[in-house]
Amino acid sequence: MKKQIVLWGLLIIFILSVPAYAGVPMTTAEASVRRVLDVLKDPKLKSPAAKEIKKEKLRVIYKDMFDEVEFSKRTLARNWNNFNPAQRAEFVKLFEQILEKAYIDKILDYSNEKVNFYQENMLSGNQAEIQSKIITSSKEIPIFYRMILKDGKWKVYDVVVENVSLVQNYRTQFSDILAKNTPDQLLEILRKKVKAQ
Amino acid sequence: MKFYIKIIVRLKFQKRRALKFVSRTIPHSGGYNTPKQALGSIPVIVLFIFLTAGYAHSAGVTGGALSASSSGPVELASSSAHVPVQTAADAANPLEEEYKEDEVSDNDTGKAVGEEKAEIADPLEPVNRAMHQFNDKLYFWALKPVAQGYKAVVPEPARISVKNFFSNLGFPARFLSCLLQADFSGAATEAGRFTVNTVWGIGGLLDPSSGKELDLQMQDTDLGQTLGVWGIGQGFYIVWPVLGPSSPRDSVSIAGDYFLYPVSYIDPWYDWLGVRVWQEVNATSLRIGDYESLKNAAVDPYVAFRDAYIQYRLKAVKARKAKMMKSASEEAQSPEREPAVPKKEN
Repeated sequence: MKKQIVLWGLLIIFILSVPAYAGVPMTTAEASVRRVLDVLKDPKLKSPAAKEIKKEKLRVIYKDMFDEVEFSKRTLARNWNNFNPAQRAEFVKLFEQILEKAYIDKILDYSNEKVNFYQENMLSGNQAEIQSKIITSSKEIPIFYRMILKDGKWKVYDVVVENVSLVQNYRTQFSDILAKNTPDQLLEILRKKVKAQ
Repeated sequence: MKFYIKIIVRLKFQKRRALKFVSRTIPHSGGYNTPKQALGSIPVIVLFIFLTAGYAHSAGVTGGALSASSSGPVELASSSAHVPVQTAADAANPLEEEYKEDEVSDNDTGKAVGEEKAEIADPLEPVNRAMHQFNDKLYFWALKPVAQGYKAVVPEPARISVKNFFSNLGFPARFLSCLLQADFSGAATEAGRFTVNTVWGIGGLLDPSSGKELDLQMQDTDLGQTLGVWGIGQGFYIVWPVLGPSSPRDSVSIAGDYFLYPVSYIDPWYDWLGVRVWQEVNATSLRIGDYESLKNAAVDPYVAFRDAYIQYRLKAVKARKAKMMKSASEEAQSPEREPAVPKKEN
């Protein structure tokens, strides 16, 4: 009996002393980015006709990698509370479309640049900043992913490119617009933008 | 990845032990033929690992990289205890959740900060917007077509060399800025880079110093940042025609950097202008598409570029300040004590 207790005790101590889980956010972000690169490099998808398939595949990865509600919420900041759930849902959808349309061609342009993940900073217990850089022939572009732990999964809520935070950049724009307009008017502006793109 | 392997190995090891242990301690339930009991203990082990994995992350953190605050353990307890409860409600509709300010305060992390505010007064907005429009047209009607033609003719390696050459000539401004910021190691790096690149890099066409062997990276600084490090604020936002986003503080650096830039002393003014235009066209040819995608992504491009400029400058000054503080504290503290500090905090 004693032996049993001792052994179980040892077992528990053993497990509790599992080394720091260093790098879970980093591994998560890196894995997602690698998946993106795999799609972009896929020789079967090289033809222009396969562009839509590529886009569809990237969308799936994006959904898995990003927390788009958190992203939208942080972008609107306090203004988020003035949106009703239906408006919020529409905002999330429109915002996502704007981002996709603006950046998809840049992403599809990818031509074997190196991506390097090199550091992870914990911002708090459940937030982390993962630092990576894209190395092109003429320069290095630092890209940081800010991630949040939700339901046991690390998801990206902000991307910082060359020290410019996307969330903050949009927050300034939206708060500027919302200072003079209602949420409905902002949604109308976004709808128009999506159509025009 | 290594970590997972470790767990698996450990798990196997524990499984074997558990097998033996179970077979020895509970003979009445199965004697030596014990796969069933062994299997029974696996969920327990797995459960433990799952329970502890949540804690492990924040507790250990990544070496000295992060300056973990004392609030770490508290938050971590709450994250593992409360989150599952919340999920039940949130899973239904995260849209119902209200926005809350981030609990992460700048003070306790110091280095890595969740959100910081970068805002600037813009009393000249109508004029600035007009200038922004002007620069936008200048880009699309003049600079971009010329850069595209140039790009089609000149191969990329040559264009990169041209860029290196001009950036090597920017040495005096960077060197002086480093000195004025009391960043002597930065100044030394710059001096070393200039010598190496000028001599071994064929007058600056190549950049051998930033290679792995020498690892002398360009000190990305200017006089505007120097003023920022000295504590002078941006003031307000200005968009200069041709030169683009700036502020009174950074305009000082436009003037200062002009006088420190050798190209400015090219004699007939039209030669100077020609060289400057060439430099600009060359630089643009290496980043065609960046401006477009930024503009496309923006809901209000003017505000987007203003904010991007301010964020960029703010972080640059912050990074320079941090470097200054670091070198100052390194001088103050003996090298043996230094590494102990982050550990204590953790």
